Amino acid sequence: MLQAIILVIAQVTVLLAVSPFLAGLIRKVKARLQLRRGASVFQPYADLAKLFRKQPVISTTASWVFTATPYIVFASTISAGLLVPTFISQTPMNFAGNIIALVYLLALGTFFLILAGLDAGSAFGGMGSSREAIVASLTEPAMILSIFAIALTNGSTNLSTIVHKTALLEGSLTDPSPHLMAFAALFIVTLAETGRVPVDNPATHLELTMIHEAMVLEYSGRYLALLEWAAGLKLAVFLSLIANVFAPWGIATTPAPAAMMIGVLVYLAKVAALAVVIGIIECMFAKLRLFRVTDLLGVAFILGLLGLLFFYILRS
Amino acid sequence: MQVLSYSGSQLVDLCSALLLLTCFAIVAQRRLSACVDLFALQSAFLVVTTALVAYLTGNQHLYIAAALTGVIKVIIIPRVLKKVIDRLNVKRELVMCVNVPAGLLICGGLVMLAFFISQPIIPLGFLLTRDSLAIALAIVLIGFFTMIARQKAVTQLVGFLVLENGLFLGATAATYGMPLIVELGVFFDVLIATLIAGIYTNRLQDAFDSVDTNQLTVLKE
Amino acid sequence: MIAVAALVVAPLFAGGLSLVVHRSALLHAINLMSMGTLVAAEITITRTVLRDGPFTALDQLVYLDALSSFILFIIGAVGLACSFYMCSYMDEQVARGVIAPTRLNLFFFLFHMFLLAMVVATIANSVGMQWVAIEATTLATTFLIAFWRRRESLEAGWKYLILCSVGISLALFGVVLTYYSSLHVLGDVSQALNVTQLLPVADRLNPHVLKLSFIFILVGYGTKVGLVPMHSWLPDAYTEAPAPVVAMLAGVLEVVAVYAILRMRTIVDHAVPSDFTGGLLALLGFASFMTAALFILIQHNYKRLFAYSSIEHMGIAMIGFGVGGPLGTFGGLFHLLNHAFAKSMAFFAAGNIHRRYHTMEIGHVQGLAAAQPWTAMALMISGLALSALPPFASFASEVHVVTALASQGVPGMPFTSTGGMVSFALSDQFGRIALTAVFLISAVLAFGGLMYRMTGMVWGTPPEGVLREETWTLGHLPVILLAGALVVFGFFLPPPIQQLLEQTTMLLVIQ
Repeated sequence: MLQAIILVIAQVTVLLAVSPFLAGLIRKVKARLQLRRGASVFQPYADLAKLFRKQPVISTTASWVFTATPYIVFASTISAGLLVPTFISQTPMNFAGNIIALVYLLALGTFFLILAGLDAGSAFGGMGSSREAIVASLTEPAMILSIFAIALTNGSTNLSTIVHKTALLEGSLTDPSPHLMAFAALFIVTLAETGRVPVDNPATHLELTMIHEAMVLEYSGRYLALLEWAAGLKLAVFLSLIANVFAPWGIATTPAPAAMMIGVLVYLAKVAALAVVIGIIECMFAKLRLFRVTDLLGVAFILGLLGLLFFYILRS
Repeated sequence: MQVLSYSGSQLVDLCSALLLLTCFAIVAQRRLSACVDLFALQSAFLVVTTALVAYLTGNQHLYIAAALTGVIKVIIIPRVLKKVIDRLNVKRELVMCVNVPAGLLICGGLVMLAFFISQPIIPLGFLLTRDSLAIALAIVLIGFFTMIARQKAVTQLVGFLVLENGLFLGATAATYGMPLIVELGVFFDVLIATLIAGIYTNRLQDAFDSVDTNQLTVLKE
Repeated sequence: MIAVAALVVAPLFAGGLSLVVHRSALLHAINLMSMGTLVAAEITITRTVLRDGPFTALDQLVYLDALSSFILFIIGAVGLACSFYMCSYMDEQVARGVIAPTRLNLFFFLFHMFLLAMVVATIANSVGMQWVAIEATTLATTFLIAFWRRRESLEAGWKYLILCSVGISLALFGVVLTYYSSLHVLGDVSQALNVTQLLPVADRLNPHVLKLSFIFILVGYGTKVGLVPMHSWLPDAYTEAPAPVVAMLAGVLEVVAVYAILRMRTIVDHAVPSDFTGGLLALLGFASFMTAALFILIQHNYKRLFAYSSIEHMGIAMIGFGVGGPLGTFGGLFHLLNHAFAKSMAFFAAGNIHRRYHTMEIGHVQGLAAAQPWTAMALMISGLALSALPPFASFASEVHVVTALASQGVPGMPFTSTGGMVSFALSDQFGRIALTAVFLISAVLAFGGLMYRMTGMVWGTPPEGVLREETWTLGHLPVILLAGALVVFGFFLPPPIQQLLEQTTMLLVIQ
């Protein structure tokens, strides 16, 4: 029992600590590729600290939804994070929910974010919300399909079981073709869900293009800090999901301290590598026009579907 | 002829799936030059697959095939195509008969069809990697579809080349390559076909002021 | 074997020489000499095959049996006729300024490469090499088809290139599958695609793989033959290409593509009951025959008319091979030969008409008998032969096919698997009668269409400004010889050809 509590605290700490770092790392990679020096990798920590100290300003038209949303988004994202294995394959909270719970916890956050964007009553917020609704409704099926493809190949919807099983195989790829399809689909979904470049540009406040930034435009002070942190957490959750489902090597399979130490290091290396890849992608590609986003997410959907069907057709 | 080791065949499967993935990217891509880049990327994956199979099976002549693929399909043909594109000055987005999501769905269906067709012969292959033949067939079909769905002469050519890549993947991954002399002949044919088609696009541009093959309707019943 | 080497070396040498020679008389001389060598080599080879049976040469690269000798015979005969025709045709085009004299080199070079590719496709032992050579024919001919460089010819050339390349790529997949199945049995990497290696072990090859492979090969090479529904390039290409090129395309290239299918069939039939391949061939054959017969009725362009007639006759030959048995196979082979002769003659005539009338519209061509009596004769004879009327050999071959169809029916495979009703209808005598009736109706339609258009062209008075005389040229020689052959073969087959046909039939009919 005690061990479980300690593990929960460790998991939350790791996620909370790593998420601003990932955002900072992506910015740094982009800056370097654009031949700039860029801010320090740890700049987002300072930003968060500063925002927490600032007084929030709240629109007079805003209702309770506006003030509740940052807490709901933060809480739902961190709960989702507890379901995803990070440095140890058997997460202590795995009894609480499976893949589907994960998807819906994240969707809950998105839902409230959309509401809050509308609630503040500004034109940009509503625009961002409607765009986010489009993207979210297109990513959802792709995400579910790709995750089911993985669940089917492993015979379980529980993430801990999936990762644990794969980790015990010691480096052999179980089923490359469906896995690759699902991986590609999930990667595109990650880019879309976390507001990364081909879908959204986190670095812009241009009204024509922004999605996520438009929704949180009215927020300030600690509310903004919570939302920014939650966004970072979401990225960390997705990257952990990808890293550990498709490449669980090095993860601790027993709660032994030494294995866990290695697990933490390997985990950090894996998510950092993925963050670098995202940074490179942000540099290489231009943001898609909103109406072209369907093409990209269509690819994700089809790949997820194929991953799923590969399993049924090939392995039946 | 030896049977591939388990993880070896898994790697070959992975590489084949990467080729299939680039196919989908090509179908979803609207910009012509990006299509050519993706084709070059796909060919690069083909080089990796071929070299991998060569290494795993010890068939020396497959290294030659890999090297030829690298030179011809990763370097020469994309360059030729880029030149043609530069000359044609087509930078706009491509017009397609089928919109992208529908095209993707059709391609998904084609992949299923390919797996369905090759289902009965996959279990026979004791030297076959599990998915490669089906994936190769799927790539052939998708290439075929691209040729039908896209009206620009250059994209039709890209479709044809994708189709050829599928054939090569089939020959490499399923049968460890054709006899060398045949493979050389096929390379030669593909290269010449691309050059000829390049010349044609120039002439079509001159004669019709367009490389939109929808314009080719002078001859009909 | 010197003869085998000559087959390859003659066109290669002539092609190289054509690039450096500039006088048209020399170009023609080189062409005729190369064709003459080719024919002589073929005769030697055919005699050897008839005497000693099949043999391989050049370190197993070449395999020659009755089937390939027969195809070589058609290549040689039609090729020689073409070369004679080109003497008058090309020179006149140059004189009229349609072709720049410098481009004559290119024409001859491509023509020789085309021939070379066809010869290699016919004699190659390896199915893979055969594929390479057939794809090479596409590449060599696409510029020949677009030789006039007008918008229409560019369009036709592009369609031809793309459709045939894609079709042929599918055939390559079939070859890959064959290789895949043969590797299991043979295990020898370098030889496993050779016909000589495949034939002895054919019955041990995996039937599933071979079935799939045959479907791919049939669709692939079928595109090249111009079978419906892969035929859409054919009428365009035949309309736009220069007359001697079309004569070669229609007379020889189609036959070579059919040969590739037949060669594959000899292997597949050992592993799979021949009903499977036969059924597929007959299915495509009927589709082509019926579709083309309908399209013949609505043509108003004489070259297109002949193009559809080509599809029709390939359909008939396919039905013959599909029905199978000694009778059907013999009919199919004989029909290939007759069609090659009659169709090349028809296109020679069409070339002459186009040179005189400068139009391809049937409605604008009248009074041919007065304007060009020789050509009018040739047109009528080829028309009658293509309609398979009695004095001509094509009548004999079509009768063979019909008799086989009526007595044996179509092997039921593709039909019976489609559903109860169809299989019931086709399973018994009723099916045979129905199919024979369909065949005869299509033949009558095609006959009516051809004759109606041709009589309109031959009789009447020529329009103003059309010259009313025809001077004798070297180009008339092949027309007369082909017409003679068509009549003579109808009554009496020369013993070597008879023997060749019989041996080929024996090769193709698997007990």
